[in-house]
Amino acid sequence: MEKIKNDEIAFLSRKILELNKQLIESEKAKSRFLSLIASELNNPMTAILGMIPHLAPMGGDLRKEIFALVHEEALLLDSRIQNLVAASEIESGKIDITYALVDPKVLVKEAIEAFKYRINEKNITITVTNKLDKKIVSDPKKLYLIIKNVLGNACDYGLVDEVVHVDIFENKSEMIIAIKNQGKAPQVEYKPQIFTRFAEGPEGNHGLGLGLSVARELCERMDGGIDYTTDETSVTFIITLPLQSACADSDACGSNEFLFESFDDAIEL
Amino acid sequence: MIQGSSTFIHVGQIHVDSAPHAISTVLGSCVAVCLYDTALGIGGMNHYLLPFWNGNGLQSPKFGNIAIPKLIESMIMKGSNPKNLQAKIFGGASLNMGISDAMMIGQKNILVAKEILREYNIVLVAEDVGGQNGRKIQFDLERGKVLLKYAQRSDMVKGGV
Repeated sequence: MEKIKNDEIAFLSRKILELNKQLIESEKAKSRFLSLIASELNNPMTAILGMIPHLAPMGGDLRKEIFALVHEEALLLDSRIQNLVAASEIESGKIDITYALVDPKVLVKEAIEAFKYRINEKNITITVTNKLDKKIVSDPKKLYLIIKNVLGNACDYGLVDEVVHVDIFENKSEMIIAIKNQGKAPQVEYKPQIFTRFAEGPEGNHGLGLGLSVARELCERMDGGIDYTTDETSVTFIITLPLQSACADSDACGSNEFLFESFDDAIEL
Repeated sequence: MIQGSSTFIHVGQIHVDSAPHAISTVLGSCVAVCLYDTALGIGGMNHYLLPFWNGNGLQSPKFGNIAIPKLIESMIMKGSNPKNLQAKIFGGASLNMGISDAMMIGQKNILVAKEILREYNIVLVAEDVGGQNGRKIQFDLERGKVLLKYAQRSDMVKGGV
């Protein structure tokens, strides 16, 4: 009986492997393009973003609006490029987590700053409640990108003149960041669909649909997760990350500890 | 005892290096494929969690059908000829943790490795797969050998998947 079951699993698995091969093949061009352009776009963008603030016109200057528009578009472009870079790093298997002490509230503030124009345009009010009274051990760049993507999503789909609420708290040795916006639930059949790259948004296409898929991968890479809940009037994204004990040195954390043990008496193959 | 440094890889990572360095990881139901180029003395390892990427999310190497071809490509990029590649596979345990056991994830992870290696005509020279114990492995690129120790339960909680 056991053998029949195993044979059947093997047969079905081969079938899935065969089918998925076509899927991978059809997506290959996208993946290759992604990794090619990511770094090409990233370097000039860093320079542009560094220079733009120096061009800010003085008060009363009519070009202030044009400046704001250019700055907004540059920030938006930068977010997309950061996602392309992250996605290509994840897909290449070369992503590394570097732990440091970070204050999540500071990262949330930075993300709000990056979306300040859109927030103003839509007259969205962002409230932040931080019940975590300490810094945490995490990868600051990755955590920032996660927060930025989820917050950006909330600003995109949140209704005008409404509130986006960011709640940071601790629950059973996990850090939770809940970002709630007023608006309709995502129109998908299955939840995982909204974490899929190049997926189209319910109201047309916002960006590449990379943001949430990058956020999910980064959360999982840091042993956490991301999910969302909806009710009639709002959508809440919940980011869950384990609270690491305070050892802000990358390789001293987690799974490496016992690998420093010797490999004496190991089996050699 | 390895002479160089040892790089630890997590789920979804691929690492290719050369002697005298080593690559290590910890595995539960995950599988790691180790490839060694006997002519150039370089080797690579991946570490994947699930057998198949099915179109959802990024094409991340946490899936076997993404991680194994990517590892082979990485070796080729470093100058390897697939004819000179030897493979060893480890992991795929069923840790009796419920879901992963019922879905036979370990078994499927092993199967996908063998299927893809066969497709690329890469010889499988050693394996230590299945069973109920987690494993920690260290791939010594000086000698092309893999040192393996069975991990205790307490280790698995800290580390591998």
